[in-house]
Amino acid sequence: MTLPLFQTHQIMLTIGPATFRIASAWRAPIDALERLYAAYPRPADAVADFTVRLEPAGRLRRWLRPSIFITGDHGLADAAPMSLAHGLLAAEMGMNLQMALGWRRHLLLHASSVEKDGQVLVMTGESGSGKSTLAAQLGERGWRLLGDEFALLDLVTGHVMPFPRLVSLKNRAVDVVAADVPAERMGPMLMGTAKGNIRHLVPRADAVARMGEGAPPAMLLFPRFGHETDVRAVGQGEIFMRLTQASTNYVALGEAGFDALTRFVATVPACAIDFPSGEAGMAMVEQLWAQRG
Amino acid sequence: MNGHYRAEPETALVVRPLDDIVLLYHRPSGQTHMVVSPVPEILEALCAGGDGDAAAVHDWLAQTHDLGPREQAISAIAAHLADMAAIGLVRAL
Repeated sequence: MTLPLFQTHQIMLTIGPATFRIASAWRAPIDALERLYAAYPRPADAVADFTVRLEPAGRLRRWLRPSIFITGDHGLADAAPMSLAHGLLAAEMGMNLQMALGWRRHLLLHASSVEKDGQVLVMTGESGSGKSTLAAQLGERGWRLLGDEFALLDLVTGHVMPFPRLVSLKNRAVDVVAADVPAERMGPMLMGTAKGNIRHLVPRADAVARMGEGAPPAMLLFPRFGHETDVRAVGQGEIFMRLTQASTNYVALGEAGFDALTRFVATVPACAIDFPSGEAGMAMVEQLWAQRG
Repeated sequence: MNGHYRAEPETALVVRPLDDIVLLYHRPSGQTHMVVSPVPEILEALCAGGDGDAAAVHDWLAQTHDLGPREQAISAIAAHLADMAAIGLVRAL
């Protein structure tokens, strides 16, 4: 009989269509998840789609300058260990990693998405483009947040399905969004991570309660924060290419992924928007949304 | 190889035109190809005519398109056919 090297703490969580088991050698990251995911289903006896493990980077690293190594069903061989102080971020990154590398039931787009009037706005772009902050802000102002990281495109219906994990706010976006949100919906400030200062936002209660409800996509935007206001048309060929680059499982899904993505590109109007501030971005989104076909 | 080519069976390719490109999903390889004119037209000509060489493709296309000087057009079509064969869109005989 093999005894586990360390006692583990764990939590089961359902987010959208996926159930995660997160196991940690330390109590603190699980406590943080317990608090921030309090409103999410916690199916104790379900079979998890993915397991995320937060393990000490070395035998002594559980106590001595504790460092976390993220692993699980799918892992990256060269992932750098993280400080225990960033344990919550490690858990979130672990869940992202499992989805990105292992999910096959939907076409997965690296995009944020929000819903209003029964239709979905999808926003995609590089890290720093503002898609996550814009989705978080819209989610506080009359839109339902479906997700800030992955849009899940149903292979049969073409609907976008919610995956409302905690929203990861970075640097300047932290203060902007925190000003509008009660403190109990904000996670701890994680200083000095690889992406700067990060604070997590718990989506609104309606986004969590309705996380099984998808809706058809009605608009795609390529946002770019920090530039003078501009709206540009984008050809379907470029849209298709950018979305294949934004998908982690397009190739793995084969023809089903091709069908889902070509249908999306052929039917969903799209444009690129530049905006100098969050307020300007939201105003542009509302205006374009009102003018959609 | 004698410069003759044959289209892949219809079931091997899924063709989806978008507004500025045509997407081809090649089932045997699982590859997606983004192509622009004249590749879709050359494929269509080969499908319509069975197998053929660049001259045959040219003559079929010339019925509906202005292709310019014949020799230059045949040379360009031959280059396209060779590229298409290299990625499996058509088969060299």
